[in-house]
Amino acid sequence: MKRIMLSVITLFLFCPSFVHASATPVGSIRTLKGKATIIRNKNAVETKIGSRVFQKDSLKTGADGSIAIVFKDDTLLSIGPNSEVVIKEFLFSPAEGKLSIITRLIKGTSAYISGIIGKLSPESVRFETPVADIAIRGTKFAVAVEGPVEESR
Amino acid sequence: MKAGGTLFLSLLTLFSLASCANKNLVVLLPGPEGKTGRILVSNKGGTQLLSEPKQATAIQSQTVSPAIPFQMTDEIIRATYGDALTALPLSPTHFILYFKNGSTELTEESRKLLDEVLSTTRYRKSTDVSVVGHTDRVGTREYNFKLALGRAELVKQILVSQGIDPDFIDVTSHGKDNPLVKTDDEVSEPRNRRVEVVVR
Repeated sequence: MKRIMLSVITLFLFCPSFVHASATPVGSIRTLKGKATIIRNKNAVETKIGSRVFQKDSLKTGADGSIAIVFKDDTLLSIGPNSEVVIKEFLFSPAEGKLSIITRLIKGTSAYISGIIGKLSPESVRFETPVADIAIRGTKFAVAVEGPVEESR
Repeated sequence: MKAGGTLFLSLLTLFSLASCANKNLVVLLPGPEGKTGRILVSNKGGTQLLSEPKQATAIQSQTVSPAIPFQMTDEIIRATYGDALTALPLSPTHFILYFKNGSTELTEESRKLLDEVLSTTRYRKSTDVSVVGHTDRVGTREYNFKLALGRAELVKQILVSQGIDPDFIDVTSHGKDNPLVKTDDEVSEPRNRRVEVVVR
């Protein structure tokens, strides 16, 4: 029994990225102005500079709001007023070759500066909008979408 | 023919100026180091490549191809994206601190660099600092996992002792699995004995 416990503990020790895959933050909030919140499982959660952001979280702003996230791979993403963006997927394990960053602007405006994933594996970066998808071959752009269009998520 | 094209672009620019808050627009901008990348804007209708600074495309719907790219003026960029662009933070800064062979003792040079890590963290009021420990490929995985963790923990301790909130610092160990310089197993390599710090 003791031995099994020990191997379980060892497994936890040596596979931290594997064991905590779903609970690892993908980034944190770096700038924040006016009304701006992280939405997690459909609930607004406490949002301040430094708040950790996870895969599947959304960021939403009011008429006076803006918010920016810095991802673990140095990607920077901000949204302006009356905007909403979803972090659909973020995988950043260069050693294992697992790289992916998929974000979706539901409505409003967004600015984006691609990071290490964009350098190592540009084809693993996708920025979606209701009307078109953006594939990234480097660096900075900004997007505005009318939304909400036909779909709700 | 060329004049016609130019006129068309200007008309589109005027059009988007008139209704810039309610249009689907993508613009490519120079990156933080001044270089401009390339993006592909695609939907069911087609694809447009943007490759010049401030080149933009308007998108009517999912089934109509993104429009022929046009040059967006600074005024329209500001009017459309001003708040989002202002909200963008600085790009994170990376540091590499090196360690003496098989130990958690920093090299002289890296000890000095640690001051810069501290001042950058303070200057930015950073709330998100990653500290990742690494080793060279001499020894077992278990031994190196612990050694790399010890190196990372030491860096964290120093930052905390200088007043950085421990909750802002995220420590991990990659042991011998993520060398900076690829070597065979059991090769001693000073450049792999390191802690990588990212100040966000």
